[in-house]
Amino acid sequence: MKSKITIALAGNPNSGKTTVFNNLTGLRQHVGNYPGVTVEKKTGVVEYKGYRINVVDLPGIYSLTAYSMEEIVARNFIIDEKPDVVVDIIDSSNLERNLYLATQLIELDSPLVLVLNMADIAKKSGKKIDIDLLSELLGAPIVETVGCKGLGSKEVLGSVIEEVNSKKKKKIEIKYGEEVENEINRITAIFKREKIPPLKFDTKWIIVKLLEQDNEIINVLKETLGSKYQKIEKEITGSINHITSILRNTPEVIIAEARYGFINGALMESYREVDTGRLDISEKVDRILTNRVLGIPIFALIMWLMFQFVFTVGKYPMNWIDIGFGKLSEIITSNMAEGLISSLLVDGIIGGVGGVIVFTPNIMLLFLSIAVLEDSGYMARAAFVMDRIMHKIGLHGKSFIPLVIGFGCTVPAYMGSRILENKGDRLLTMHINTFMSCGARLPVYILFAGAFFPAIAGNVIFSIYIIGVIMAVVMAKVLRSTRFKGMSDPFVMELPPYRVPTLKGVLIHTWERTWMYVKKAGTVILAISILMWIAFTFPMIGNNYSTDYHGQIDEIEQSYQSGTITQQYYKEQIAAVEGKMAGERLAYSAAGRIGRFAEPVFKLLGFDWKMTVAAISGIAAKEVIVSTMGTLYSIEEADGQSEPLKTVLNKNYHPLVGYNFMLFTLLYFPCLTAMVVFRKEAGTKEMFFQMGYTLFLAWMVSFLVFQIGRLFI
Amino acid sequence: MRRWGLRHKGRINWKAPMPGGEVIRLIDAVPGKKYRIESINGGCRLNSHLCAMGFIPYEIFYVSRASRGGPLCIIVKGTKFAIGRGMAGKILIRELENEE
Repeated sequence: MKSKITIALAGNPNSGKTTVFNNLTGLRQHVGNYPGVTVEKKTGVVEYKGYRINVVDLPGIYSLTAYSMEEIVARNFIIDEKPDVVVDIIDSSNLERNLYLATQLIELDSPLVLVLNMADIAKKSGKKIDIDLLSELLGAPIVETVGCKGLGSKEVLGSVIEEVNSKKKKKIEIKYGEEVENEINRITAIFKREKIPPLKFDTKWIIVKLLEQDNEIINVLKETLGSKYQKIEKEITGSINHITSILRNTPEVIIAEARYGFINGALMESYREVDTGRLDISEKVDRILTNRVLGIPIFALIMWLMFQFVFTVGKYPMNWIDIGFGKLSEIITSNMAEGLISSLLVDGIIGGVGGVIVFTPNIMLLFLSIAVLEDSGYMARAAFVMDRIMHKIGLHGKSFIPLVIGFGCTVPAYMGSRILENKGDRLLTMHINTFMSCGARLPVYILFAGAFFPAIAGNVIFSIYIIGVIMAVVMAKVLRSTRFKGMSDPFVMELPPYRVPTLKGVLIHTWERTWMYVKKAGTVILAISILMWIAFTFPMIGNNYSTDYHGQIDEIEQSYQSGTITQQYYKEQIAAVEGKMAGERLAYSAAGRIGRFAEPVFKLLGFDWKMTVAAISGIAAKEVIVSTMGTLYSIEEADGQSEPLKTVLNKNYHPLVGYNFMLFTLLYFPCLTAMVVFRKEAGTKEMFFQMGYTLFLAWMVSFLVFQIGRLFI
Repeated sequence: MRRWGLRHKGRINWKAPMPGGEVIRLIDAVPGKKYRIESINGGCRLNSHLCAMGFIPYEIFYVSRASRGGPLCIIVKGTKFAIGRGMAGKILIRELENEE
């Protein structure tokens, strides 16, 4: 007797598969990715009757064709990993469509347990299913569950164990109709004649897939069979033409019809339905939520509420975390001698890691909102409502959600792009999300707009936001017609019935995503923060200050002790001198030198080396630009409201340069944390593309604005 | 050959011309009416996917919403779908006469 078994959960999207998975495994879950792709892989372990059952939650799919990454991943898992049992979760109130996947599992001849989920809703709406008969017709045990109430999990596990131990194999064969069967037989004979070695798939299954022109299988065969494949290919093309000419439909459609035929045959005897009222309720709600006139305002309202929820509620825990890290820094500074190690700890590690942890409340609330929107069924409606507008700029309806989030913070926005299933859509949405001005850029705008355009600061800041949106639209168009050409799926999406989300499901979902963020971003950010700290600290200035600041400090101390100056004046003087020292230290460091070195390139935009260094420091986080600017102008503790800093900026730069710097800040890639997340979500290549093209764009736009603007001043 | 795949009340005589109106594209469908799918011409990959979602020839469906410039909303096999205009242009349908 085997005590360790693996089962795979398969099922249509919206069949309640995740709920069943959560019920089976509880909180003992692990989330990862399938190797090489961004499809999420969830696994969990449950112990039952002496068995240790490893449960793998396959992605939600409609069939086992090679349509999407999810389908390929699910199919390969079943074929390659050979789980002991495949559990197919079926929405009982939509048997016909949901059983389509089951027929393909039957074709694959995998040990199967069918779970009729949401059995209560189906019963309530008058659907009667003869479980025993259906089970016999489909050749697999059937269990009923009510996922949202946690009913039936034990029975599922019991059936799984029975299926593992059952010796009898009753293979159900699906007939595809005379014409197709004839062709299958003909090609099977050719397979035999050509002495094709046995492959990891069943021959009939391969031929069906070839008739369906399944790209994945074609590629596998091309590789393994080599020259023999060409002969097969010719025969297959012949068969396809033959079937198409006789039945006036292509084989993949004919085969699909045959599968539905098999399902209808089975249901005809075992299933009776009285008209359902459930869709009608959804239909009524949809009449309002997807209304031509009301749809968009309602969506905007929900987005606004979500934005408020994520950022207004998130502000409090963010503050606590901020204060916590501040306290920690204080403790370290007061208990350790001032020096490199304390600086590394406080400025490097706590500053860097704190900068990541501080976003956690936002991320958590965002994923909480997304989970509620998804589980309730509204997300699909939002995509439906927005598709008309987003389609015009080459984006998917759902792209709108991460883009809105981007106005708060780009990090959760990148992660939120996961709601887009298609890779092209997802990457495109991520690449333009940079231009949605995030909250961290606001202090920079406030400082510069306040310094150069005090009377119309609000309008100037607004103009920057608008330019960002315009840039996003333009770049979406450009990228869609070049790099992501044709990488968009035709828009066909299920609008599931509205449901009340379960607390457990929402919480598990939120927790997983948040934890993934903390774990993944945290480790890399730690390393990069240390590197940034080194760049801004070394080489150290030692005693190479331009003037004898230490002497000046001593002088001030003496005058204070002798009582010639007030305490107030003393503090101001000390701060002024220390500010100058900090400025020189920064100029002396590697980052400062890079700034000076890169100055000629930025001179063309009207920036001097100080602005260049500030822009570089903005890579760590955009709000750092303000404090770097302060340090460089020897103003301690500068923030966006700092009047002395505003005055000094106004004195040193022309308003055109100031505005240009805001534009530059808007356009180049957001921050390190965001880039790390970008890499995790989209890969290293895409991250470098993002960094490269936004830098180039920022430079080009600032260049043009400065050079053209110069002609008028 | 017996055609399963059929969820139509009553039998259909395949030799006789199809009952119903003109063949039109799904994109031109009118909300509130019932139609029958004639053919799907999206290429192998897309056809397979649409079939898996329940869009197969002779399937009867209901158009719940269609607005100019936006996606359509249709109900197939008891499931509501949003379908983009690009895709809807590739599906040929035929209006059902009022039979009930």
